[in-house]
Amino acid sequence: MAKKTLTKEEIIHLSKLANLSLTEEEIEIYGSQLSEILSYIEQLEEVDTSKVSSTAQVTELKNVTEEDEVKEERSIKDLAGLKVNKDNYFTVKRIR
Amino acid sequence: MDILKASISKLRQLIKDNKISSEEIVAQISERINKENPKLNALLTVVEKPEVNENMKDKPLYGIAFTLKDTYVTKGIRTTAGSRLLENYIPQYDATVYKKLKEAGAVLIGKTNCDAWGHGSSTENSDFGVTKNPWNQDYVAGGSSGGSAAAVASHLSPFSIGEDTGGSIRQPASFCSVVGLKVSYGLVSRYGSIAYASSLDTVGPITKTVEDCALVLDVIAGNDNQDATTNPAKPSHYSKSINNDIKGFKIGIPKEYFVEGIDKEVAEQVENSIKLFKKMGCEIVDITMPMTRYALSTYYLIATSETSSNLGRYDGIRYGNSRKDFGAEAKRRIMLGTFTLSAGYYDAYYKKATKVRTLIKNDFDQAFKKVDIILAPVSPTPAFKIGEKVNNPLQMYLSDILTIPVNLAGIPALSVPAGFTKYKLPVGVQLIGNRFEEEKLLNIGHKFEQERGELPSID
Amino acid sequence: MYKYQPVIGLEIHVELKTKSKMFCQDSADYFGKKPNTHVCPVCLGLPGALPVPNKKAIEWTILIGQALNCSINKVSKFDRKHYFYPDLPKGYQISQYDEPIASNGWLKFQISNFKFQIKEKKFRIHRVHLEEDTGKLIHSGSDTLVDFNRSGVPLVEIVTEPDFDNSDDVKRFLEELHTIIRYLGVSDADMEKGSMRLEPNISLRKISIQDSGFKIQELPNYKVEVKNINSFNFVKRAIEYEIKRQTEILEKGETPAQETRGFDSVKGITYSQRSKEEAHDYRYFPEPDIPPLEFTYKEIEDIKKKLPELPSDKEKRLIKEYRLKAQDAFILTRDLRIADYFEKVTDEFNKLMLVQDKASVDIEKQQSLGQTIANLIVNKRLSTSLDPEEFAKKAITSTVTYIADREKMDKAVSKVIDDFPKAVEDYKAGKTNSIMFLVGQVMKEMKGQVDANTVKKKLIKILK
Repeated sequence: MAKKTLTKEEIIHLSKLANLSLTEEEIEIYGSQLSEILSYIEQLEEVDTSKVSSTAQVTELKNVTEEDEVKEERSIKDLAGLKVNKDNYFTVKRIR
Repeated sequence: MDILKASISKLRQLIKDNKISSEEIVAQISERINKENPKLNALLTVVEKPEVNENMKDKPLYGIAFTLKDTYVTKGIRTTAGSRLLENYIPQYDATVYKKLKEAGAVLIGKTNCDAWGHGSSTENSDFGVTKNPWNQDYVAGGSSGGSAAAVASHLSPFSIGEDTGGSIRQPASFCSVVGLKVSYGLVSRYGSIAYASSLDTVGPITKTVEDCALVLDVIAGNDNQDATTNPAKPSHYSKSINNDIKGFKIGIPKEYFVEGIDKEVAEQVENSIKLFKKMGCEIVDITMPMTRYALSTYYLIATSETSSNLGRYDGIRYGNSRKDFGAEAKRRIMLGTFTLSAGYYDAYYKKATKVRTLIKNDFDQAFKKVDIILAPVSPTPAFKIGEKVNNPLQMYLSDILTIPVNLAGIPALSVPAGFTKYKLPVGVQLIGNRFEEEKLLNIGHKFEQERGELPSID
Repeated sequence: MYKYQPVIGLEIHVELKTKSKMFCQDSADYFGKKPNTHVCPVCLGLPGALPVPNKKAIEWTILIGQALNCSINKVSKFDRKHYFYPDLPKGYQISQYDEPIASNGWLKFQISNFKFQIKEKKFRIHRVHLEEDTGKLIHSGSDTLVDFNRSGVPLVEIVTEPDFDNSDDVKRFLEELHTIIRYLGVSDADMEKGSMRLEPNISLRKISIQDSGFKIQELPNYKVEVKNINSFNFVKRAIEYEIKRQTEILEKGETPAQETRGFDSVKGITYSQRSKEEAHDYRYFPEPDIPPLEFTYKEIEDIKKKLPELPSDKEKRLIKEYRLKAQDAFILTRDLRIADYFEKVTDEFNKLMLVQDKASVDIEKQQSLGQTIANLIVNKRLSTSLDPEEFAKKAITSTVTYIADREKMDKAVSKVIDDFPKAVEDYKAGKTNSIMFLVGQVMKEMKGQVDANTVKKKLIKILK
């Protein structure tokens, strides 16, 4: 059964999952806007899909693979423009 | 002025006949950009020294200048996807579509404005300001590929590559009176196209004429071993068959596309288009596509689910700014998509949407058993005023209601200018084809354009 | 009355040694390389990059599934698993959720208990799936450094059913699995380099035994995972520590927290990893950038043909074919190279012996030739770095009593016949005793480096 409204706690939980830090104001706005969108989307409940398969993609392809070989020309030799330090590492604030 | 207004096919002829050089085309366009772009804000980045390669004279698009929506990565040229988050991002590699165009001799002159991450229908979600409609600057150019459509309409580039996830090529093309092609999913490589919703995103041209569309498609279509979703089949030679006779073709008119809130003048333009097809000897067939009304909900569930995932990589660690720099619409869609995929809601939302998607696709499969193409409006209304829908996301979403089903089904559709409203706002008509039948679609579009005759263009 | 019974399951990650990475054509040979030099738009998660799966990695995952007696699923797909961590460049890992490549397998092998009774045990495999590895984090001062060279290397995850109730079985299982992976040649499975990583999950089940003898089992309502252990012994110790720790908590009437813990190999204890404590919601959905996988019966069977003889089968065959002691067959088959070496040496040995006078050969003790070779290898009396033929020759010298040098003996015999014509005459005339004199002379000539019986036979043959 689809859900109709989102509580403040749920919005905060979702923002954590999504790695977004929201302001109080944003939490408020998204709470009501998402609830409005969800109540529109509720219309899908009318559609009987009990015997319908999913379409997660429309390619109709299968087993698209690449051979196991190295293509040097595709690797990035020059990291200019990316945030590496002098030792060629990316850095973040210590996580533990 | 002639050069600026010229189509690709005309420019090709002029270059071939040595009547103009590629350098001259680029110079004239640069001048035009300098003059017009500050007013329109169609281009976010202008390439400083566009490179014309003299060794490419025999290539199909030799010397033809073009712009790319700023969602395509271009090595060494800033690529923002319309977002503050990437405002200083200089990519390390080239998108396949860009590579193919370069190899065909085309010359990149700029990157066009768009709603950040493709999220929007008006470019009002661009973090770098709205693109104004060249026909009336109080109005939006449409979106998300609004910059591309405005650039082509105002002669800032003979053609542009847009990106269509829910109507992002067709709707701005219709709002700006240019031709926009949304291709079949898998016809053109998405490699290097900054993803909005991976199962819906398509790469396509925005041009002045249908023939130009075919000329560009000839270059960009085809399998790419770096995009596993591209079709392995060899693409057609699209520009070759555009003049074929279309007499006897069956044009389907789906009644569901003409009900909810269609602007009277839009409906009139579509009626006129139907008359033109009748005149050309086509058969008009009434069809029904009962699942149409569920397309918008289905789309927003799938698109937001996928975008919440696709935007996960923007964490500020390797490139770009932090996630704080996502704009309001991106945050809104990330939040919705995170919710629809979350434990306990996946089945009711994401999974449900993928099932309804099957039914929507079935509608089209059934229709194409009876007709060659489907004719419908592109958007329920002509361009709307800047700011008119900005505070109501759902209203904004509704402007895509007639383009979205095509993306869900993965089929091609063409937006061709049909005429203007009494307030001189452009209206396009949407021609929808069966999967990978771009050849037929462009043929029909071209014949329609010929029959319609010349329309006014921006001075 | 009641007792606690451990319920242990395993998750094992194995890095495949393909040339290129799982979803791009970047080199997967990342170990010890300068940071961020084996990266491309795909494995670095740059905007616009798209994944294309590595065909060999898929085949090898099928092969692992087959070696573990799994059924290979005809239809399979990749999914996105979402979480945020600095070593995960896309904010999701491409993995497999509800349609893994292989599932429902088992692994059985022999286990000897403390009384040295051998028993065959079978443990079920829940699933085998394919995913991509993450980058590597190095904590340094106030920073955490990220190296993406490992990002996107193919990683196979093997998940067992919670079929274990003691740490010895777990260790033995892991050793067997390790051996199998090495036999398949799909991974170095080098624990020190992290190309095989072990994660046991442990909980305790309360079993109440009523006066009537009726047992009531309560399923545990928690699970403790110990992450990323890189040695079988550490797994054993971590499990033992957890059993003790959890028993103490349960005895107090409390329930151990459902959590992920790390293992401190110096202190021999596990510790809570607070950073990952929050319950995950991975928001799996089908990877839209990769069309699904579908295998025909024939494709699956063709891969199955590439399965080598697996260690436990080889062990059984060696016992039967070479009459080896079970424990030596086990030791020899732990390393495919050694097992192959053993068979090659035995073969060489046989070839060399063919040209020898059978009668002159007397193998040490009453054991099979194979067992003789096995002893030399197992007890390291000879180096297995020798060429097999060389090994065989040395094996012959050190284990076989026989004419040291055929030619030398022939020469000595001729010399003695020439030097002692009288004794030869006597023998020919019927004084058979004089043969012993001749044998003695030959022995003397050869400084005893020859078997008297062999010399006697040779002389009789010549003087006939």
